[in-house]
Amino acid sequence: MQRLARLGIFLAVWEAIGRWQLIGSGALPPPSAILVQFWADRAVYPAHVWATFWPAGIGFLIGDAAAILLAIAFVLVPVLERLLRGFNIAIFAIPPITLSPLLVVAFQGTTPQIVLAAVTVYFPTMIATLIGLREIDPRFADIIRAYGGGTFTILWRVRLRAALPSIMTGLRIAAPSAVLGAILAEFGSGSRWGLGSFLLGSMGQANPARLWGIGLCATALAACGYLVFSLLGALAAPGTAATTMAIRRDPAAEGGKTQGPLVVRLALMLASFLMPFLLWQGVLDLLQISPVIARGPLGVWRVLVTGFDAADERAALVAALEQSVPVSILGMAIGIGGAFVLALVTVVRPAVGRALMPPSLLLQTMPLVALTPLVVLVLGRGLTATLTIVFAVTFFPAFLVMAQGMANTPRAARDVIQVYGGGALQQIWLVGLPSSIPYLFAAARLVAPSALLGVITAEWLATGYGLGNLLNEARGELDYGMIWAVAFASVAVSVIFYLLVQAAETLINRRFFG
Amino acid sequence: MSSGTAPEGIRIVGATKSFKLDGAPFLALQSTDLAVAQGQLVAVIGPSGCGKSTLLRLIAGLEPADGGDILVDGWTPAEAARRGVLGIAFQDPALLPWRSVLANIALPLQVLGRNVAEAKGRIAELIALVGLRGFETARPSQLSGGMRQRVAIARALVTEPSVLLLDEPFGALDQILRRNMNLELQRIWMRQRSTTLLVTHGIDEALFLADRVIVMQARPGRIAASIDVAFPRPRPLSLFSAPEFAALTAQVADALHTGEG
Repeated sequence: MQRLARLGIFLAVWEAIGRWQLIGSGALPPPSAILVQFWADRAVYPAHVWATFWPAGIGFLIGDAAAILLAIAFVLVPVLERLLRGFNIAIFAIPPITLSPLLVVAFQGTTPQIVLAAVTVYFPTMIATLIGLREIDPRFADIIRAYGGGTFTILWRVRLRAALPSIMTGLRIAAPSAVLGAILAEFGSGSRWGLGSFLLGSMGQANPARLWGIGLCATALAACGYLVFSLLGALAAPGTAATTMAIRRDPAAEGGKTQGPLVVRLALMLASFLMPFLLWQGVLDLLQISPVIARGPLGVWRVLVTGFDAADERAALVAALEQSVPVSILGMAIGIGGAFVLALVTVVRPAVGRALMPPSLLLQTMPLVALTPLVVLVLGRGLTATLTIVFAVTFFPAFLVMAQGMANTPRAARDVIQVYGGGALQQIWLVGLPSSIPYLFAAARLVAPSALLGVITAEWLATGYGLGNLLNEARGELDYGMIWAVAFASVAVSVIFYLLVQAAETLINRRFFG
Repeated sequence: MSSGTAPEGIRIVGATKSFKLDGAPFLALQSTDLAVAQGQLVAVIGPSGCGKSTLLRLIAGLEPADGGDILVDGWTPAEAARRGVLGIAFQDPALLPWRSVLANIALPLQVLGRNVAEAKGRIAELIALVGLRGFETARPSQLSGGMRQRVAIARALVTEPSVLLLDEPFGALDQILRRNMNLELQRIWMRQRSTTLLVTHGIDEALFLADRVIVMQARPGRIAASIDVAFPRPRPLSLFSAPEFAALTAQVADALHTGEG
């Protein structure tokens, strides 16, 4: 009842703001106007929704099947995970929008959408499955082995079933990502149908109500996917949680760590580094895409280093990077910083966390980046719009990671401070801050690619700046070399950032947390 | 080695095991000899880090020994596990949370590739034996700690193992429940007469159940003493307060404390 009342107030305020055009002189239309426009457009919506949903669904199935099968392979053959580590990080770090123009020139029809959806769902599902398969109670494995069962029996009787709730969590995050991927592939595809095409096509029409209708529709589609897998996850969960705590950790859970002599470790590291490039070239060879369009690692090297106008290309790329990277870092710092402060507050005021958790979960399912046109509509085409998008895509996931992490810190630790008369600030300083550091790093690693994605998308669609603009121009001029170069540079920046954060994390964890 | 014709029971000759602890090798078990005759119940007791659980894990084939020979009914541990010679229960019941009581007890049969349908009668009998009739379809999360532990005992018995390995099976239970479980274990064991190795840190539990108590010492893990326990069976709960029980308790305690400096 109270929730309904709150929703009512929210809608009433929105209606009032819209009616009297309080924001961006009509950029935020009232809900009633959005509904009216939605009704007027009712004939075209089914085709647009279907054109996004169908490829998103196919990509979701393909990407998740690959993710689950590879996660199983990583558990059975841990060295395989070491070999594909570079590949996994690269897939995680790819800002999907940079792949969009490449896919559009290389494939026809819905294939770019399917591929991009599959690429965006792969990482969350793979990592969730891997964690679920690995983090089993080690005594379950002991029981199986005492009756002569081996790796496969443990996988079949224990790991797969135990991983089910974790897999569902992965799919829950992957489902909205698939929608986002399909929409991003529509940007620049020139195709007529799909919510992304509809959104882009409606940008210049001075019809904010229609833009908002499309945005809300895309959000609803993504949220549906999230809800379906939340429900399935709830079905898989009851009675699955172990009834007692395991003292010993399953050694297979440490599978990611390398052992053995230094030579072997270095060889693995090198192989893991080369693997993404080999796979890149391998996929191009396999698909036999015209070498004019498709550039392998050597092709990009030629564009940027040995080509006859390499210096110009390099200069353009560096200039774009100089514009995009600082904005990404600034926006991300604001997003993570805000989330960090708020998460600290939840340590002493848990009620704040409980109130913010549901809307954060909901906003995380929004294909925010795909809604860039809405943000531009409200905030214009300047730096504020870009920073807002980056803030929005980094704040909520970062807050969720940190708040959930801090909820795990033992209450007793704070109680000790309180017993000796320590106030809220001392509790934050002595307990909240130290225990949140690991989660701060985890959040930074998690949201870095999203930040870059947000910046590039905003630059492409609105500001005409940086990497996004360079990508868009190269696309317009059919400068395939430059498209590949921008995509490569974006992934490289993202991976470098990921590795830097990880190195800092390892250093700090070793220093302060043994 | 695994001829299957050697004397039955457990025979250990010169078994050693070391682990890496923070990069440095740590001798968990010094060269150890131990023989448990068929149908004997031997309790192993000692301070933490004395290698008693390591010993049990070596016999179960859960860890490979660094050296020495271990024969279980004449088989190597791995071979014995494959043949379904072993039954095992740990301090934690380690029940699969998504399986019912019935399905948890049937797990070893499935792993061994035996016919579960044929064993229906035996499983029902075991459920009755551990006093869980009416809970066949319950999930572990719906049971109390003591009930879960009894499911784990039933699971350990379902394959009719000739060798039973129990690693502090009642360690997590309170004293009252523990004594009752000791009584029940004796009753069950007297019907099956499996060769049994019981790892425990309760002197009274060891003396109440065992034919022989092995006392181990830490750093490095080794066998320090072997004490025969000759009380007639079935042993009643009143034995816990008998003077001869107290005398033997003192003897075991002495063996535990010598060598500790």
